[in-house]
Amino acid sequence: MPTLAASNRPEDLAASLSEVVGVENGAALLKTLREVKNQIIGNKTKKLQYLHLGAVPKIVSVLASASSGTADGGDSVIIVQAAAALGSFACGVEDGARAVVEAGAVPHLVRLLSHPNGKVIDAGARSLRMIFQSKLAPKYDMLPEENMRFLLSLLNSENENATELAVRIIAHSCDKREEQNALCDARVLQRLLHLLEGSLSQRDASLASIVAIVKNNSEVARTFASIDNGKSLGALTELIHDRYPRTRYLACMCLIAIGEVSSFAHDLQTKTNLILVLAKLLEDSSEVGDDSPFALLDMIADKEELQVQIVAINVVEKFCNYLEKGSIPPRRLQGILLALAELCSKSEICRGQLISPQFLNVIVDALQHENAGVRIAACTCLKNISRSVKNLCAGRFSNESFIVPLVKLLNDPSTSVQDATLGAICNVSIDFTSKKAAIVKCGGLPLLVQISKSIDPSLRLKSVCALRNLMFIADGTLKEYIISELTISELTCLICDSEHLIQEQALALVSNFINGSIDLIELVFAEDGLIINAVMRQLRSNFATQVSIQGMFLLCNIAAGDESHKEAVLSYLIPLKSDEYAHLLIRFMQSKDKLLRTATVWCILNLTDPAGANSSDRVRRLQDGGIISQIKTMVNDPWLDCKFRVRKVLEQCMIPQSMRM
Amino acid sequence: MSRLWFVPGQLNATESMSTSKKVITREEWEKKLKDVKIRKEDMNKLVMNFLVTEGYVEAAEKFRMESGTQPEIDLATITDRMAVKKAVQSGNVQDAIEKVNDLNPEILDTNPHLYFHLQQQRLIELIRYGKVEAALEFAQEELAPRGEENQSFLEELERTVALLAFEDIKNCPYGELLDLSQRLKTASEVNAAILTSQSHEKDPKLPSLLKMLIWAQNQLDEKAAYPRINDLSTATLEDPAV
Repeated sequence: MPTLAASNRPEDLAASLSEVVGVENGAALLKTLREVKNQIIGNKTKKLQYLHLGAVPKIVSVLASASSGTADGGDSVIIVQAAAALGSFACGVEDGARAVVEAGAVPHLVRLLSHPNGKVIDAGARSLRMIFQSKLAPKYDMLPEENMRFLLSLLNSENENATELAVRIIAHSCDKREEQNALCDARVLQRLLHLLEGSLSQRDASLASIVAIVKNNSEVARTFASIDNGKSLGALTELIHDRYPRTRYLACMCLIAIGEVSSFAHDLQTKTNLILVLAKLLEDSSEVGDDSPFALLDMIADKEELQVQIVAINVVEKFCNYLEKGSIPPRRLQGILLALAELCSKSEICRGQLISPQFLNVIVDALQHENAGVRIAACTCLKNISRSVKNLCAGRFSNESFIVPLVKLLNDPSTSVQDATLGAICNVSIDFTSKKAAIVKCGGLPLLVQISKSIDPSLRLKSVCALRNLMFIADGTLKEYIISELTISELTCLICDSEHLIQEQALALVSNFINGSIDLIELVFAEDGLIINAVMRQLRSNFATQVSIQGMFLLCNIAAGDESHKEAVLSYLIPLKSDEYAHLLIRFMQSKDKLLRTATVWCILNLTDPAGANSSDRVRRLQDGGIISQIKTMVNDPWLDCKFRVRKVLEQCMIPQSMRM
Repeated sequence: MSRLWFVPGQLNATESMSTSKKVITREEWEKKLKDVKIRKEDMNKLVMNFLVTEGYVEAAEKFRMESGTQPEIDLATITDRMAVKKAVQSGNVQDAIEKVNDLNPEILDTNPHLYFHLQQQRLIELIRYGKVEAALEFAQEELAPRGEENQSFLEELERTVALLAFEDIKNCPYGELLDLSQRLKTASEVNAAILTSQSHEKDPKLPSLLKMLIWAQNQLDEKAAYPRINDLSTATLEDPAV
């Protein structure tokens, strides 16, 4: 007795699927399958509902038993419905694609491709095509001879659906050099080129496959470019102006892939055309508009020549005008902001173009966007715009509306957003006046201090870096406030952090603090010399040159203070009992690093300043420690800055006792 | 020198335009047209393209036999497409959806706008026949999730559901949704999607040619007086107005 579902409700239909398994219940099964298929096509909610009801494995077993039986007409109808339903599950819903693959549908569907009935082949090929559009589809191993033969038979098939399936399989699966070479040897590129003249979907799939085959493979790219004496490139160049946006986009991707590995399609004019096409595509309402800014980003990343060109042809202006229109889909917004960020990382002109009230409004909105990717992109953009020293000096960031949302992002639940936010705050806080106050006023300081204790080294590093920049030529009140929030013991911990980069930033922070005021130098000796002891410990034990440089610059700054400070530094560097530190100074001056040599000599220069009452005594102690004779060997130091200071030190040491103050 | 010439020339332009228009007489015009050669096969193809795209399957079949012109697609697919179109036009939307899915399940799976409009049409039909409860349930279960996916869908859905709030739905603000024209609009959207899925242009070529003719005449009007075609259905040459 055939079982019919009690109703068309998903629960009943899914239940009856397992009851009617068994081909003998043909009519009822067919009805149920058709109903399920018609309910899920186009309907994401229903797909998920059926997924949870476990419908996919049931349909796969229906397909398996129907296709293993004798191939009479009745079976074919069921196979077609089952295949169509599985294809739909895989379309547009990631979980669906995963379920279909995990239920083992692929081999059954592949078997359908050799079915005598054309409709079954169509249904199987369509279904597989949907599956292979998903990133979750398994890679097809085309290297075994038998598999390659099957793939080629599909590709050369008369059935358009089968051909397109083969093209999509290639686009999805081909990612190894051997596969690229094998496909090239099998003259697949010629076939794909031919398919470019076919239907729209064949053409688009072929373009995606060509990208997969030529990517990072200069030999294959050369072969492609020489097909029919270069007609292949001509065809692609025409397609970048095609009337269908997706085709234009894919043709651009092809030319970019070829241009990256060969001299073809590599001239500036072609690239300029590609940029213009991609820039125009971002106005397209489909997915293409979301992908094109990312393609542009890949294309221009680290390519200064192209970045200059992009600024020259007013693309930045177009981006801004587009962004100011508002209500842009998140992925697209993210892509455009990242592309602009990339441009701003080098081009001062681009930064200048972006410093407008309208664009800052866009940034302010993006900082508060619900999508984390957009927030990160906005921070990155802000970070790179504020790389402009010129604009920072001129205080052109007079609009401070972005500070509040930016500071708020320090509390973001996503670590990546926090990381990007710190990057932006680092640069913004260099601002010579108003931004520092604004950041502090919005409650940014306690947040930065809190993050500097994070277990994530990257967050710790960037927060210390931000604090260091906040400290940079700040006024005394702000400096004191920062230290009181941070506390001396915390600062000491940061100087002794396990990461070299953090140690370096923490030392620089102290340097920025004491810079410019003798009174502030006392900080390093406070609480029984917590900081200075930590600094000396790092100098002695550290093998990271950057840390030693910052440490020496810090000592140099302290030695710029009054007599007691100079005495203290010298007593730390050349203690009466041990000559361990003297060796340290000599080692630094013999370093290959010009900055370390300079910092060390500079420190000694400050110590030997003849204006100091005890300077001759200090010169003597330095002489006794062998320091001066080391300096004498450096009179022709290849680094001018160092050489100049070496000569200055020697001059100061020559001044007789009587002439000293 | 030429620069100096240019300025007065431009100033006089508006004045001289009407007088300097070239007049082309009917004889001259017909002689010119005679020199243009058009191939019969091209004409036949245009006609076939029109019949196929518009879905005149029997006429296309007869025309194929009589003129020997091969259609660009399998004529059998026209029958299927027409059946879908007709189902929408007569309000059997569910039937239309099933037919489209049999034809090619990818169409509705990859075309959310079309899918939404078909579902919306289903809702409109339920409302038209006063099935209030069914309409509400359908709107909530099937359409509301689409509205969550897309803001513009939500707005259209709200407009449609608003129909339920009025006693006299024909004369309410959104009454036009109940017009036959709404069905035709949906039907032509489905028709276009099926054609696209068959890699066929969704519009016939003939109207584009006529549009181009009108555009070209408008361009020419600024420069010359000539025997114009004003009535496209008869394509009669009118004498130039001098």
